[in-house]
Amino acid sequence: MRILIVEDEEKMANALRAGLEADEFSVSLAHTGEEGFFLASTETYDLIILDLMLPNRDGMEVLAALRQKNSSLPVLILTSRDTIRDRVRGLDAGADDYLVKPFAFPELLARIRALLRRGKPESGDRLRLADLEMDAAGRTVFRDGKELALTEREFDLLEYLLRQQSRVVSREMLARDVWQETARYTPLDNVIDVHIAHLRRKLDEPFKKKLLHTVRGVGFVLREETP
Amino acid sequence: MRLRPTRVRTRLTLWYVGTLACILAVYFAGVSLLLFWQSSNILKRLAAEDLETVKGLLFVADDGQVGVREDYHHHTDWKQVQERLLEILGSDGSILFRNERLGDRTIGGAPFVGEGEHGYSGRSARMSDGTRVILISRKYDLEGRTVLIRVGYNQALIWDQLTETLLVLLLASPVVLGGTAWAGFKIVGRTLDPVSKMARRAEQINSEHLNERLPVENPEDELGHLAGVFNAMLARIEQSFEQLQRFTADASHELRTPLAAIRSIGEVRLQERAKPEEYRDTIGSMLEEVNRLTSIVEGLLTLSRADAGQIRMQVSVFPLMAVVREAAALLEVLIEDKRQTFTLTGAEAVGAQADRLYIRQAVVNILHNAVKFTPVGGSISARVECTSQSRVELSIVDSGPGIPAEHSAKVFERFYRADESRRGEDMGAGLGLSVAKWAVEANNGEIGVSSVSEAGSTFWIRLPAVGCSSPSTGLPD
Repeated sequence: MRILIVEDEEKMANALRAGLEADEFSVSLAHTGEEGFFLASTETYDLIILDLMLPNRDGMEVLAALRQKNSSLPVLILTSRDTIRDRVRGLDAGADDYLVKPFAFPELLARIRALLRRGKPESGDRLRLADLEMDAAGRTVFRDGKELALTEREFDLLEYLLRQQSRVVSREMLARDVWQETARYTPLDNVIDVHIAHLRRKLDEPFKKKLLHTVRGVGFVLREETP
Repeated sequence: MRLRPTRVRTRLTLWYVGTLACILAVYFAGVSLLLFWQSSNILKRLAAEDLETVKGLLFVADDGQVGVREDYHHHTDWKQVQERLLEILGSDGSILFRNERLGDRTIGGAPFVGEGEHGYSGRSARMSDGTRVILISRKYDLEGRTVLIRVGYNQALIWDQLTETLLVLLLASPVVLGGTAWAGFKIVGRTLDPVSKMARRAEQINSEHLNERLPVENPEDELGHLAGVFNAMLARIEQSFEQLQRFTADASHELRTPLAAIRSIGEVRLQERAKPEEYRDTIGSMLEEVNRLTSIVEGLLTLSRADAGQIRMQVSVFPLMAVVREAAALLEVLIEDKRQTFTLTGAEAVGAQADRLYIRQAVVNILHNAVKFTPVGGSISARVECTSQSRVELSIVDSGPGIPAEHSAKVFERFYRADESRRGEDMGAGLGLSVAKWAVEANNGEIGVSSVSEAGSTFWIRLPAVGCSSPSTGLPD
């Protein structure tokens, strides 16, 4: 999968490149709007990550030019402009997603995956990790053959983690996708932490092998081995 | 360029003097008119008397000539009478007699019909040489002949007197005007003195001396009122300035703390060789601080946008109970964790008219605050009720330590914490209640706290309501 990053700030661009390459994407960098537009029109990419405030040609112009060429290439806008008006303008101009800086890296990865997966079917109702088995439709979950008694919220939380298994999930993602809250705020973070603690008590405490891990400062991950 | 005195004092004085000059001019004109009218009347009356005297002195000489006995000494205080012009005409209009002063001039020309026939005819006439005169005429029977006696006086006599009087008045007026100007200048100066004092004092009041106030000499008069208003405004400025200073200090403290932590954690770790797990731990710890920074910045941005009025409210009508229930459901796990009990009572049908999302956020923040400060095993109760026909109140009572009365006004301030030692205990930056306050007030509501120390606090919000007047009816769609 090839991703083009159009971002003028060196540090940010390099961090993005390193992060995406670690997730096995192949990455090209453009530092100006002009360069970005040139690369996007001459090379083939699966997705573009576009900053808005760029030298030469600003992100919105690049986006407009791309859409005029009738390119259906998925574009994710990554910017520090966070007003509703900016978002609406970006999406109206043909962006497929809009993420505000500062963002959590796992969130960016999740959104990229969602854009690339677009149109393809969701993974089925049967989810599995090590000795953990979930029937999402029947809303039952077993570990080592024993059914876990989870509350509704805990089940939703586990299902989300299981679908994103081996990938770090941030609190923002949980707030939005599991709690369906539009904004992340302090009380919600506390609520998420307590739920994770509860889930961990039921999911991991009785077993030797731990599956739910906290990645300090980033979020949580469901995976087989401790890193 | 228009010439316009800059000082109010000069302007007012000029206005005084100008107005007085106009009044004087009108007054002089009136006086002159009156004087003229009065003098003419007196002259006419005297002329009539004089006419009678002349009649008595008339004689017809042997040759048929008409004459006046000049030997008669006529006494009068009126010098004008001595200026008498006399003319006697026959019934055919021929001149029978003219006195010396008249010489060969005629006073009134040919007599008009009915002149002097019934009593005296008095008028102002022009003599043959153009001199204006006051003229009185009367017809008499003189030894079988009908004669018309005309007595005239030069009008210049009146004018001279008038001019004299006016001159005296005009000579006095500069003195009057000058006196007025001086008095006006003094009075205006004295009146405006408090203003100058206020201005001088106000110039000295800057951000360093905001506690100073303007002098109020007489709180009852307009200037005292002005000074009072100024002082009230200064008090408000001082208050918001203090609030701003405190906010800046608190904000920089809140922002610096995580920054300092990030910096020292990073620096310390780089000074030594560490194992990969140790690096991971360091980075994780730095990221935690970054998260804290991010949430502070986000909170500040929200509030500053709110301050700038950039956030639009999407007002709808929704049941307040439902919102409280949602908030409680969200925080349920925290409540359970602390083995607290939560109860909600109130009017189901009452709808609040506000932006649902922001009110929900406010309720979550207030409830979260209650959960935080209520000890393990404590209780929290919420109640929704109408306070009037168009107002609904939600009160949340906790069993926490309560808030000392002197702090109750400050709990809604940004970064405020009742207990400084709790700073940084959790991720909250002390903005939750500020956000709640803003959200409620932006929806035309009120927010407050009443607290009995050591027996818990009651936070309440009041919002515009629908369905308060008739509790049995449901909500409009």
